[in-house]
Amino acid sequence: MIALYLPGRSILHRAPAGVKLLALLALALLISLWPHTGVTIALAGLVVVALYAFALLPPVVLLRQLWLAKWIVVLMVVTQLVFLTPWDALVNTVRVVSIVLLAALLTLTTRSEELLAALETGMRPLARLGADPRRIGLTLSLAISMLPVVAGIAERVRDAQRARGVRLGFRIVVPVLVLALRHADDVADALSARGAD
Amino acid sequence: MSTAEERAAPGSNEIALDGVAVELDGRRILEDVTVRLAQHRIAVIGANGSGKSTFARVLDGLVRPTRGTVRVHGLDVARELSRVRAEVGFVFTNPDAQILMPTVAEDVRLSLRGSGLARAEVDARVDAVLRQHGLGDHADAPAYSLSGGQKQLLALASVLVREPRLVIADEPTTLLDLGNARRIGRMLIDDLDAQLVLLTHDLELAERCDVALRFHEGRLVEVGQPADVVRAYRREYA
Repeated sequence: MIALYLPGRSILHRAPAGVKLLALLALALLISLWPHTGVTIALAGLVVVALYAFALLPPVVLLRQLWLAKWIVVLMVVTQLVFLTPWDALVNTVRVVSIVLLAALLTLTTRSEELLAALETGMRPLARLGADPRRIGLTLSLAISMLPVVAGIAERVRDAQRARGVRLGFRIVVPVLVLALRHADDVADALSARGAD
Repeated sequence: MSTAEERAAPGSNEIALDGVAVELDGRRILEDVTVRLAQHRIAVIGANGSGKSTFARVLDGLVRPTRGTVRVHGLDVARELSRVRAEVGFVFTNPDAQILMPTVAEDVRLSLRGSGLARAEVDARVDAVLRQHGLGDHADAPAYSLSGGQKQLLALASVLVREPRLVIADEPTTLLDLGNARRIGRMLIDDLDAQLVLLTHDLELAERCDVALRFHEGRLVEVGQPADVVRAYRREYA
């Protein structure tokens, strides 16, 4: 779900991460709070597409992000059709998908370390409340890189139960959690060994 | 000042353990290890659960001894942990546990966080170390997309970019195929400038070190010429 950085030389790639982060915040607020008409929602969608073009990313990247967002679309359309008119469901779905695509654009054009540095700067006022922005930043990027690891663990446990001809059903959570926690211990060791604590 | 401290002045190559014991939940994992090592390449062999890993972790302060003192290159591991960590690099068996950042270059960069180097210098070092390890074309690739061998090369690159003076490797070739195991083995044994403590089940690799230690049931049972130590170990299972 989280898009990985694609190297490039566009203005969006070179813009400071902090500026991009603030722009994302502003655009996301604008798109979600604006009382949309057909024209403005189409405009929002167009702006997103234009920004992808502006980042000189090939169209297939945008399509891939859209495809990744398919479950969000399904979830939003189905649940909202129950309570709202089809038009409102459409507008709200475009809203959310636009924001998801914008967030993906940020991570596609920004190295995560630059993003983290910007976040750390942004969180600096929290230091007065006793929080450690460097730690929060490191935790965030660890969380990002652990997603595929946990997915790999789940895959392994699924394979193991298949190979042994058992069906754990919902109980599969237990071995996955145990392995994930054990992995967390190893990661803690690696963090210490690399002088990160 | 004691004689031991004089011998192990800062800047020396000596690893010195005095009466080191580790107990965990009432179980003895390491018993009364006393040893002085100044050789360049140190092999550590022994069965699973013999105490090898605990010995390695004690050197880096990842495990705190219940009793005894550990000095690495003249630094007291218990008291000067951050200086020890700056001096020592640790390579784990499973690179998945060691690779912490989403992409290859970022993971190497993490090692230089807080090093005070200028950005251009960091870029140059990351670039150089990745190329040295055959990962130059993968700098922006997601780390999880690498093969097992490439992951271990990345783990090694992330350790070596800090230019440690001692590298501890805990069975770094166990999960690798023959080709990758050879490659990592060569890099550690032949190409490494830093001192090496190599835990391994690959006895050929152990024989190429300058000294070998053998652990058995938590005890250090033998220190000597690698060929002799390996022969004794083989005989035990003959």
